[in-house]
Amino acid sequence: MTRYLARRLLETIVVVFLSLTAVFLMLHLTGDPVKLFLPTDALPAQIAEVRHRLGFDQPIWLQYLRFVAGAARGDFGESLRYGVPALKLLLERFPATLELTGWAMLVSLLTAIPVGVISAARRNSLTDYVGIIITVTGQAVPGFWLGIMGIILFSVRLGWFPTGGRGTWEQLVLPTLTLAAYTAARFARITRSTMLDVLSQDYVRTGRAKGLAERYVLYKHALKNALIPILTLVGLQLGQLLGGAVVTETVFSWPGVGRLLVQALLNRDFPLVLAGVFWVSLLISLTNLLVDLAYAWVNPQIHYG
Amino acid sequence: MNELIPRRGTVRLLALLLMAVLLLAAGCGGSSTSSKAPGGTAAPAEKPVVVALGADTRTLLPMKIVDMTTYQQIRNIYDTLLTRDPKTYALAPELATSWRALDDKTWEFKLRQGVKFHNGEPFTSESVKVTIEKILDKSWQSHYYTRFEMIDKIETPDDYTVILHTKQPSPILLLRMQGLLPMPPKLLKEKGIDELAKHPIGVGPYKFVSWTKDEKLELEANPDYWAGKPLIEKLVFRPIPEFSSRLSALLAGEVDVIQNIPVSAVEQVNSSGKARVESVPSSRVNYIALTNFKPGPLSDRRIRQALNYGVDVDGIIKYVMKGHAYRMAGALSNINPEVNKDLKPYPFDVAKAKALFQEAGVDPTKLTLTMDSPQGRYPMDKEVAQAIAAELKKNLGIEVKITYNEWGTHLDKIVKRQTGNMFLLGWGPALDAEGTIGDLAVKDRTYSGFAADPELQKMIDNARPIVDPVKRKAAWDAIQKKVYDEAMWIFLWQQEDLYGVSNRINFTPRADEEIEMWRATYRK
Repeated sequence: MTRYLARRLLETIVVVFLSLTAVFLMLHLTGDPVKLFLPTDALPAQIAEVRHRLGFDQPIWLQYLRFVAGAARGDFGESLRYGVPALKLLLERFPATLELTGWAMLVSLLTAIPVGVISAARRNSLTDYVGIIITVTGQAVPGFWLGIMGIILFSVRLGWFPTGGRGTWEQLVLPTLTLAAYTAARFARITRSTMLDVLSQDYVRTGRAKGLAERYVLYKHALKNALIPILTLVGLQLGQLLGGAVVTETVFSWPGVGRLLVQALLNRDFPLVLAGVFWVSLLISLTNLLVDLAYAWVNPQIHYG
Repeated sequence: MNELIPRRGTVRLLALLLMAVLLLAAGCGGSSTSSKAPGGTAAPAEKPVVVALGADTRTLLPMKIVDMTTYQQIRNIYDTLLTRDPKTYALAPELATSWRALDDKTWEFKLRQGVKFHNGEPFTSESVKVTIEKILDKSWQSHYYTRFEMIDKIETPDDYTVILHTKQPSPILLLRMQGLLPMPPKLLKEKGIDELAKHPIGVGPYKFVSWTKDEKLELEANPDYWAGKPLIEKLVFRPIPEFSSRLSALLAGEVDVIQNIPVSAVEQVNSSGKARVESVPSSRVNYIALTNFKPGPLSDRRIRQALNYGVDVDGIIKYVMKGHAYRMAGALSNINPEVNKDLKPYPFDVAKAKALFQEAGVDPTKLTLTMDSPQGRYPMDKEVAQAIAAELKKNLGIEVKITYNEWGTHLDKIVKRQTGNMFLLGWGPALDAEGTIGDLAVKDRTYSGFAADPELQKMIDNARPIVDPVKRKAAWDAIQKKVYDEAMWIFLWQQEDLYGVSNRINFTPRADEEIEMWRATYRK
């Protein structure tokens, strides 16, 4: 187990390193960002000075080596826009993203799993069709559209919830639901399809034949065996969301990691973008690892040696 | 995997999973319960007035970063030495009550007396001195450095007089005093600049309360403000990056002021019953630069003039801009106090344009030009670029190929002189001649599109040091005439800035995009 963990952690480091390298090179292909951060009347000498100070006047391989050396110590440099350490800026935003992700995950799991199980149990019934329609819609409708429609209906027309910002529970409702709509749809669909698969197994028929209550068959026998694909998806989704729900955070001016990174990209704030890539790739790798470990917990036949 | 036999209670497992998520959420949700709900039970008059901007302030420090969104916010905490009159936009007193040139290189400013910083420190000539010294301290890396570099020596003969010596005659110094936000010297000395970065202390109409990055900047009225306590008690700046969210927040009554309402949304705001659109002719000018860094058709003045004659600018204002723009004749807008009023816009005259092409010996129907345009940066920018290309095709037969750039790329291409023959750009706040033509008509300036001809270059060099206001005006008038005759750009218009303002307040927008909330009032 320890060896397995060590190997996986090493892999994580390699993945993060490769992502950073790729993004570093791509960013530098887009040119030099310095001018965007200086006033329009900055003189060439001033621009040259700032480029020099930030190291943009050095050959790319040297910039890369310096970047790697810094990144290894967790130092991604100062954000060009805000003039404060990039990673610190990012970590300050993380609680907001964690809060939104947590609630969205909770809401989606609480709705999606029962919907998926019921849909599967009553396959081809009206309930199933309604469930399918809702989940397909939830997955197909783009998040920004859903968010803006939510704002127009619930904030502008009805005045129930604020249009955005963070601080009160009211401000949490619309972004949570917007984010949950998409994840819940995906969870419900995978729950339904794996449940259908499991319900056609012999032991389920045996369970029913020996007179077990249907509820018991569904939740105790079937769902548990359907959990592995669900868990995989939950893990993937969680990793992505913790890296910032880009669209939802932007639409609802939620001060999270995703919004910060979009702004950083638009502003070509290289250090901040790289710190963001580091953070997102690290989170995704780690949640994947956690999911793999959870498999062994859900299914004792899986061993990591 | 399917032959697995369940061992543990699935329900328990599910519950554990959910609890984990719940804990995760509760752990970070805790902080949110302690913060106060907006509005709610408070009396309507006490509900803070909220200004929503597209971005957060980049710093709370004055004189550090040049950035309009930042200035719009901290300007409410700090006062400036000179301001611009809200009607004429001529320089007007604020913390400096009077000023004069003692000679070509020496300027005297008399300061307002009895003014106090928010921490009680008196405002004196020392504050001005320390602030300028801080800007000139290279290690502080202020963006404003180049704007104050001409200052050689600062004298403070008494508490309310500042004498500035410049290295060369630099009348532009006066313009620099507009936007000079003095910092408190005692605080700087005792606690350092980092303290000021965390908790700004100015002499302005609003006192700092709190700043949560990317969430809000909270201010409260300064009861001791020298010009009287502002009527709006609590002021909040909120960054809302997405325009449709900003608009929704205005229509839902959550915010009171937003900028840059697109022409297409004016009706929606005005008919909402919650807010209205207030407009102001902006000092920001929009133009099509006609580049001639490399030899080509646009190196010929006659062709540049022909392009001006060949585009129906008034028609574009009417149909594309829906009337929300003001035609300008030369490079300066009509609101610029230094505009040459004798210039008249190039008339729309296709025959004249064709004649000029013939004179230049170029067949416009065989000419292909390239143009760069940003999209979404200026009102209707993409549509304007298309309209101009269509006009040139229809009227003169010129083929125009447009490249639309993302904003950063657009600037980068201009700086590196990699644009097509033409590019669309806006410039502002532009309230003086030197800061506009002096930057945009001079070959080696960052955003110039024009390899100025030697004569124009010389005229500009000669005009920069003229201190005498009458002679200065005459020199810059002549330069504007020259720029007009040279047809440096396809001269377009000054934008109209459209603000959405909630119906509970009165707010007058300014041509220079400053947001002076201390002048706003509650509506009865």
